[in-house]
Amino acid sequence: MKKKLLSSILAATMVVSLAACGSASSDTTATTTETGDTQTAEADTTEAAATTQTASGDGITITMWTNDRHDMDYIQSAIDTFNSTNTDGITVEFQTVTDNYANQIQLAYQGGTAPDIVTGNGSDISINNFADTGIVIPLNDYISADEEYQKVNDPYNHMYEGYNVKDGNIYSVYSGVRSGVRVEYNTSLITEEIPSTLSDYVALAQKVTDEGAGQYYGIGLTSSGPFGRLLEASAQMSGIYPYDYVNGKFDFSGFKEIVEAGKGLVAAAYPDQQGVDNMRALFAEGQFALWSNASQEVSVFTNQIPVTGFEWGVAEVPTLDGTVKGALNMVPQKGYYILSSSPNQDAAWKVISYLQSEEVMKSYLENGYCLPITDYMAGIIDSSQTGRMVDFATQDYEDVYPPTPSINLTGDDYGTVLWNAVMGYVDVDEAIEDLNTRYNEALEADVASGTVKRLVIKDYDPLHPSKGTAEYLSE
Amino acid sequence: MAGNDGRGKKRIKLRSGGSHEGLASFLMLLPAIIFLIVCSIYPFIWIFRYICYNYNGFTATYTGAANFERMLSDKTFWMSVVHTFEYAFYKLLFIIPLALIIAVILHTRIMGSNVFRGVYFMPTVISSSIAGMIFTFIFATKNGILNSVLQSLHIVSSPIPWLTGTNVVMAAVTILAIWGGFGNYMLYFTSGMDSISNDVYESAKIDGANGVQTFFYVTLPMLSPVLKVVLMLAITGAFKDYEAIMVLSDGGPGNRSMVMFLYIYRMIFGSATSTAAVQIGYGALLSVVAAIIVGIVTAIYLFISRKLDDVV
Repeated sequence: MKKKLLSSILAATMVVSLAACGSASSDTTATTTETGDTQTAEADTTEAAATTQTASGDGITITMWTNDRHDMDYIQSAIDTFNSTNTDGITVEFQTVTDNYANQIQLAYQGGTAPDIVTGNGSDISINNFADTGIVIPLNDYISADEEYQKVNDPYNHMYEGYNVKDGNIYSVYSGVRSGVRVEYNTSLITEEIPSTLSDYVALAQKVTDEGAGQYYGIGLTSSGPFGRLLEASAQMSGIYPYDYVNGKFDFSGFKEIVEAGKGLVAAAYPDQQGVDNMRALFAEGQFALWSNASQEVSVFTNQIPVTGFEWGVAEVPTLDGTVKGALNMVPQKGYYILSSSPNQDAAWKVISYLQSEEVMKSYLENGYCLPITDYMAGIIDSSQTGRMVDFATQDYEDVYPPTPSINLTGDDYGTVLWNAVMGYVDVDEAIEDLNTRYNEALEADVASGTVKRLVIKDYDPLHPSKGTAEYLSE
Repeated sequence: MAGNDGRGKKRIKLRSGGSHEGLASFLMLLPAIIFLIVCSIYPFIWIFRYICYNYNGFTATYTGAANFERMLSDKTFWMSVVHTFEYAFYKLLFIIPLALIIAVILHTRIMGSNVFRGVYFMPTVISSSIAGMIFTFIFATKNGILNSVLQSLHIVSSPIPWLTGTNVVMAAVTILAIWGGFGNYMLYFTSGMDSISNDVYESAKIDGANGVQTFFYVTLPMLSPVLKVVLMLAITGAFKDYEAIMVLSDGGPGNRSMVMFLYIYRMIFGSATSTAAVQIGYGALLSVVAAIIVGIVTAIYLFISRKLDDVV
């Protein structure tokens, strides 16, 4: 009897908790699948939030999240100035959120605790997810009504489909750009010019390693995304890209030569492949001569891990035959997005308009936090203030590639597999065949199920990938 | 008859007291039960919701049995299962005997045994991520401490690429696991040995048993219930380890140290070095499969080890 009673109570408790949890989870499902309803529900929530805020005082509090740490102090000081000088009673609260950034925003949005503004670099804020689910709002109306903003930020010439733009709607305007990959080298160990072909580059690395006789090496390779640090950049400039934009499918067949050349680099490399900061420190210590990364290395080798024992030079990435046949990908930086849950979207725009004003942007760019993206700002800043950023100035062949479909891939991504081929863990032909099969099978399955759309750019130009007309197909 | 009546009354009294005790026990257990349901059972059921979906954290699309079909043909996942068994085998092979031997030595109350006990236990309180980072330096091919020691002792002639060699990375991962875990199991064994009565040891001594005989015929049998629990914890722990491996080798090189929970973690939370989107639905399915694998291993162990309880 006692056992029966206990079992009944236990069963009832379980049913109640599961039912409670079940209803909560149904709500979650609604927010993730039914976009239209979500917005309505969120609007209700925001009205309530607005009432609370208005009741709490005369001022308006705007919360802003960022995942950038390198410019945190500068942005905070700009916000402090804004808070003390603006006449609209707006106070900005600024928070840095770096782990699982996109998921944190999405969770906060669902939980009704989302900030008013979020920042994002490149595709940190995946527009296909954030726009489709109505989390961020289009800024077209705000932009068209603000001529000063248009003059400084040139938004209509920096619309990157799939990054900050979808279906003609502008969801953010980038403040600057991070350059594509460059070669950084130790001028004490390498006195000659950096070769323009990949084979000569490998030979140079081997020569320095031989000269070093175990004391120093030709090149350093990291364990963290090693393929993207040099070989992928070299492939892009050689006209090789994982996605065939014209036919709307993945194609890795061009990577064989790149992988083969990479094997020579491994043979000439520093024996360990450690995390990026460890390898940077070893470069700064003169343990190897060739390193490659984008314009963030300016701040790293100037402040974070200063190079003091030698002069470091900057050169362009080598290509397969020494000519540039494709664009080098660069990453647009610091876009500001307004969340649909914000009860004070107009005030949020005022904050964005201030942070992307000529005054704030000039100082931001001169501090070297990123490169200017607009001709107007490039003409205004004093480049003598930007230090080594001048070595990473945007080249004609640099552009932003439209994001490829975000597929549900089985197994490792192409960067991992191609690096495994470079290291000799897998055969290069098998690796390429495996990637072509897995990527295209996943693409076909996801397009068929409606999870993603196929991106096709009929007038695709490998030297100007962002200039084509993107079409998103359901089949 | 009177006695019978008395016993009857006593029985009734006990039953009535038992009912109160049962209710009290149930009430005391209730918070724990609720927490178990909310924090453990509910999340597990939550996982089941997504096993038939493509879910990237934003949009969930029903895909039927597609995730299941993918799982069956996912070579990386099944290799990670093989690596998990390999890792668990190596870890258990060394960690349990080592923990037991150290526990027996320290139990003899040699001078400074408490200090040693503290020292051996210390790695357990260090975060496995921090330990992973520290061991990255220890295992470095150039200027790594381990290679320097091995070379100075003339055990190896050239440095071993611990973290970039596919044939040695599992050894590196196992060394870290043993270093980080054996103190914990040592403590379990020490506690178990403390509960063995001194009378038994004295009897053995009087019977003329030497140290080795005492260990095999007294300590080990008396310790068997503890050993059974420790082994079960060690097995389930070894199958679920992934944090230190993630920091030390990130499953590399070439997925050689990829264990199943690290692979699942990558599916659900993504990876800093991967361009692939998070796949919560598929990761959820793999979590269920992994739980079944661990469950089967545990059940087999419990079946095999059922006699360990009967020794005492």
